[in-house]
Amino acid sequence: MILYLVLVVGLIIAMLAGPYFLGRRRVSRAVNEPYECGIVPVGSAQYRVPIPFYLFAIFFVIFDLEAVFLYAWSVAVKEVGWAGFIEALVFIVILLVALLYLWRMGALDWRTTRQKRDRARVQPR
Amino acid sequence: MLVLWLIVVLFVGGVLAGLAERVHAAASRWVTLATLVVSAILLWPLACAQPQAFESVAGQSGWLAVLQWEWIPRFGITFLLAVDGISVLLIALTIFLGFIALLSAWEEIQTRVGFFYFNFLWTLAGVVGIFAALDLFLFFIFWEIMLIPMFFIIVIWGHEDRYYAALKFFIYTQASSLLLLLSMIALVFLNWQQSGEISFSWFDLLGTKTEGVFGLLLMLGFFVAFLVKLPGVPVHNWLPDAHTQAPTPGSVILAGILLKTGAYGLLRFIVPLFPEAALAFTPYALIIAVVSVLYAAKMAFAQNDMKRLIAYSSISHMGFVTLGVFSWNALALQGTLLQMIAHGLSSAGLFAMAGAIQHRLHTRALSEMGGMWSQAPRMAAIAMFFAIAALGLPGLGNFVGEFLVLLGSFQMHPIAAILAALGMILAPVYALYLLQKSFLGEQSDTFSAHSASLFEFKAREVLMMGLLIFGLILMGFFPRLLTEYSDVALNSLQALGWGP
Amino acid sequence: MTIEELIALVPLLVVASISVILMLVVSFVRHHRLISLITLAGFIAAGIMVFQSMGQPAIQITPLIILDDFSRFFIVMTCFASVPAVLLAYDYLRRSEDLKEEYYMLLSLAVLGAVVLAASNHFASFFIGVELLSVSLFAMVGYMVHGEHKRVSTLEASIKYMILSGVSSSFLLFGVALIYLNFGVLTFEGIQQKILNGTLNGYGMMGIAMLLIGVGFKLSWVPFHMWTPDVYEGAPVPVTAFLATISKVIVFALGLRFLHESGALGLFNVQAALAFIGVLSMLVGNGLALMQDNLKRLLAYSSIAHFGYLIIALIAASSASATNKALAMEAVGFYLVAYVVTTWVAFGALSALSQPEHGIEAENLKDYRGLFWQRPWLAAIFSVALLSLAGVPLTAGFIAKFYVFAAGASYTLWFLLGILIISSAIGLYYYLKVIMEMCKPAEDENDFQKAAIPFENKLILLVMTAFVLYLGISPQALIESLNSAIKVLM
Repeated sequence: MILYLVLVVGLIIAMLAGPYFLGRRRVSRAVNEPYECGIVPVGSAQYRVPIPFYLFAIFFVIFDLEAVFLYAWSVAVKEVGWAGFIEALVFIVILLVALLYLWRMGALDWRTTRQKRDRARVQPR
Repeated sequence: MLVLWLIVVLFVGGVLAGLAERVHAAASRWVTLATLVVSAILLWPLACAQPQAFESVAGQSGWLAVLQWEWIPRFGITFLLAVDGISVLLIALTIFLGFIALLSAWEEIQTRVGFFYFNFLWTLAGVVGIFAALDLFLFFIFWEIMLIPMFFIIVIWGHEDRYYAALKFFIYTQASSLLLLLSMIALVFLNWQQSGEISFSWFDLLGTKTEGVFGLLLMLGFFVAFLVKLPGVPVHNWLPDAHTQAPTPGSVILAGILLKTGAYGLLRFIVPLFPEAALAFTPYALIIAVVSVLYAAKMAFAQNDMKRLIAYSSISHMGFVTLGVFSWNALALQGTLLQMIAHGLSSAGLFAMAGAIQHRLHTRALSEMGGMWSQAPRMAAIAMFFAIAALGLPGLGNFVGEFLVLLGSFQMHPIAAILAALGMILAPVYALYLLQKSFLGEQSDTFSAHSASLFEFKAREVLMMGLLIFGLILMGFFPRLLTEYSDVALNSLQALGWGP
Repeated sequence: MTIEELIALVPLLVVASISVILMLVVSFVRHHRLISLITLAGFIAAGIMVFQSMGQPAIQITPLIILDDFSRFFIVMTCFASVPAVLLAYDYLRRSEDLKEEYYMLLSLAVLGAVVLAASNHFASFFIGVELLSVSLFAMVGYMVHGEHKRVSTLEASIKYMILSGVSSSFLLFGVALIYLNFGVLTFEGIQQKILNGTLNGYGMMGIAMLLIGVGFKLSWVPFHMWTPDVYEGAPVPVTAFLATISKVIVFALGLRFLHESGALGLFNVQAALAFIGVLSMLVGNGLALMQDNLKRLLAYSSIAHFGYLIIALIAASSASATNKALAMEAVGFYLVAYVVTTWVAFGALSALSQPEHGIEAENLKDYRGLFWQRPWLAAIFSVALLSLAGVPLTAGFIAKFYVFAAGASYTLWFLLGILIISSAIGLYYYLKVIMEMCKPAEDENDFQKAAIPFENKLILLVMTAFVLYLGISPQALIESLNSAIKVLM
C-alpha cells in the first residue's frame, strides 16, 4: 500500500521534473499556442451561444432525472399500494406545477429577448 | 422599598429630563434639580434612622430597607437591595455630589442638554444601585449600567481627545469587569457545590470556603476589577485621560463618585468573601497601595495639565483606601470610609475649580496661568482651601481619613504605614505647586483680556464651592457624626475578616 | 406512515407547499404583496402549529425526521425568525427593479431546508437539509443582478459562496461516507452505540473530522471563514441577515444534536479540535473586525467571533453531570436565540438606512456619522444591538454571555474563558467605534439619514429591540422553555 503510494508519487514527480532537466527551452510564438502541433486556431474562444440552448439542456436533464424516480416506484407499485400512489401523485403534480411555471415564464420560448420584443412590436400589424 | 424608589426616581427623572428639552431648552436642568431634590427627600428617612431601626439579615446586623424579589430562579438570582451604614453614607455622598455636578454643569453644558441630563441621572442611578445591591448579579448589572451613560458623557461633551479617552475608559473597565463576572460565577458555583443551593446573594456567599490557590484566583478576579475602578497603580492608566477629557460635571462625578464604587467593592467583597485569600495577598496589596500613593503623587507633580494633576492626586489618595482595607481593623476601616467621603468632596471641589478656570481661560495648561490671585481673589481663596484640604491639613476631612488609615495600618503593617505616610509629604508638594503655578506668581497674558468682573466666581459657583467647603469642615471637626452612623455596619463587616 | 405521524408532519408540509403554491400563483398573477403575504402566512401558520405541539411526546417519522421538543423549539424559532426576512425583503424588493416574486420561492425553500435540518437525526436528512438551504442561498445571494442600479458585488459573492459551499458539502458527504464505512449506520443514535462498543477506528475519526470541517464552513469557524465577509458584503441586506441568522443557527443546533446524540462530543480529539477552532475563531474574528470600515464586513467578523464563543458552551455540553450538561445546552440555546434577535436588530437598522432603488446600502462607517442627532431613535436602537453583541447588561447578549461563562466555569474551561475575556475586550473596541461614529457631530448633510423608514422595517426594529431588552431583563421564560426543550436530549 505504502510502496504503491510512494511509487505513484515518485512517478508523477519524475514525469513532471524530467522535462525540466532534460528538455531544451526555446521561446517562440508557436510554443505558446494551445495546440502546438495541431490546427491553427481561428477567432476567439469566447463567443456567444444563445441562452435557450442551455435552458433546454437543463430542462431535459432535470425532467429526465425526475422521471427516473418513477421507475423506482413502478418496480414496487404493488408493495407500496395506495400510499405509494398518493406520494407519486404529489411528486408528479409538483413536476407539473414546475412545468406550468416554466411555460408561463416563457422559458420554453425559443427566442431571444430581442426577438420577442421585435415580434411584439410587429404583431399588431 | 425606599432604596428602590430612590433608584427608580433617578431613572425616571433621567427620562423626563431628556424629554423636557423639547419643551424648553432650560427645562432639563430644572427637572434634574427636582429629581435630585426628590431623591434627597427619599434618602432623609434612611439618613435619620436610629440604631434600633437597623435589622439583622442572615446573621449580619446593621441593615436597613431590605428588599428581596425573585428574579431569575434558574440561577438563584434575586433582586436584593439592602443598605447599611456604609451604603447610606455613600448614597448620600452620591446625591450630594449630584447637586454639585449639576451646579457645575449649569452653564458649561449648552449643547444637547436633554441628552446630557439623561446620561447624568442614569449614571447616578447606576451608582446608587451599586451601593445598594447585595445580589452579586444585580451588583454587576449596576456596575455596567453606569458605564454606558458615562461613556456618552465623555464622548459627546468631552474635550479635544475625548474619543480616545472614552474608549480607554470603557475597555479598561469592561475587560476587568468580565473578569469580575467570571469570578462571581465561579464563586457561586463553588458555593453551590458546598451548600447544594445556587444563590447570588452576598449573604449566602459569605460562608463559602475559599481556600487555596483557587480561592486566591477568585479573589484576584474581584480585586483586579475593583483596582481598575479605584484605580491602583498598574491599571490606573485610563484615569488621567478620562478625567482630563471629561466635561467638568463628568470629572466631578468620575472622581467624586465613580472611584468610590471601586473602593466600596474592595470594602464589601474582598475580605468578607475571601478572608484567607485576602490575608495571603495582603503583602502584595500593600505594595500596590504604597506604590499608588507615592508614584501617583510624584506623577502629579510632573503634570502641566491642571486636570491631569488633580487626576493623579486622586490615584494617590485612593492608595490610602487600599491600605486601609488590607489593614482591616476598626480604625483603618473607619479611616477608609472617611477618606472615601472626604476625597469625594475635595476632588469634586478641585475638578469644579479646574472646570471653572478652563471655562474662562480655554486652557488647562499650568504654564499659561499665573498670578490670577489679583484678578479673582475670591476664586483664589477657594482654590487655596481645596488645595490645602487635599494635602491633608488637620481640621479638614481628608486629614481625619488619612490619619485614621495610617493609625490603623501602623498597628498591622508598620512599614507600609511609614512608607505611605511619605505621601503626606508629597501631597503638599503638588498641591502647593498647583496653587503657585495658577494663582500666585507672575501674571500671564492669557487672561489679561478678561476683566476682573468676568473672571470672578458668580453666586452659583460660590454656592457650589461653599457647600463643599462646609462639608469638609464639618467632617474635619465632627467626624463622629459620620462614624457613629457607620459603626455598626463596619463592626459587623470587620467581624467577617481575619480580625486584629 | 400512520395518521399521527402525518399530522405531526403537517407543519413541515405547510412550509414545503409554500414554494409550490407560489409557483402556481406566479404562473397566473404576479402580485408582489399577495406573494409575500402567502409566504408570511405559511411561516406563521407552521410556527404556530409547532408551537402548539410543544410538550407532546417525541415522534420519529420515518428514520429521517424526528419531532421532539428540541427540534420543535428550533422549528418555531426558524419560522418566526423568517418573518422579518419576508418583511425586510418585501420592502427591499419593492424599491428595486428586479423580479420580485421568485425571491419568496427561494426563501421558502431555504426555510424548508432549515426546518428539515432542525428535525433531522439521520445523515440523509442532514445532507438534504443542508443542500436545500445552501442551494437556495446561492441564488438569493446573487439575486440583485438586474436593473440599472444593480449592486456590483452580488454575483461575485454568489459564486464565492457557491464554490466554497460546494467544497464544504463534499467534505460533509465524504465524512458521512467514512462514518458509514466505520459504523455501518447513518442514524445519530446508532453511532453512539457503536462508539460505546468501541468500534470507532481511524475511518470513523476521519469522518467526524470531515463533518466538523463541513459544519465549520457553514458556521464560518476560523480556518474555514474566508467566504464570510465577502458574501456578507455582496449579498443584499435581507439575504445577509437571513444568512447570518437562520442558516447559521440551525446548523449549529443540528451540530449540537449530532455531537451529543452520537456521543462524538465525549471524544477527546473532538473536544481538542473544537477548542482549537474556538480559540482561533474568537481571536481572529475579533482581531480582523478591528480593521473594518464596512459595517457588513464588521458584522461578518463579529459573527465569526460569536460562533467561537458558542464553542465553549458546546464543549461544556459534554459534561458527565446532568445538571452541568443541561446548563451548557441551555447556554447554547439561549445564545442562539439572543444572537438571532440581536442580529435582526442590527441588520434592520442597516436596512432602514439603505436605498435599494439606487443600489446603495448603508454599509460604510461614515454613513453613520451623526446619526444620533439626525435620527435619535434609530441610533439608540442600533446602539442597543451593538451593546447586546458586545454583551452589556440589560440586553439579551449579556445573559447569553453570562450563560457561556456559567457553562464554561461548570466544566472548568478556564483557558477558553480567558480567551473569551480577551477577545471580548478587543470586540468592544469596534462596537464602540460604531457608536462613537454615531455620536460625532454630523459634518455635512447626509442623504442616507434623510429618507423615511418604511413601516415594515420599523415594525421589525421595534419588535426585535423589545425582544432584546425583554430577554435581557427577564430571561426566565425563555430559560424555562429551553429547559423543557433540552430534556429530550438528556
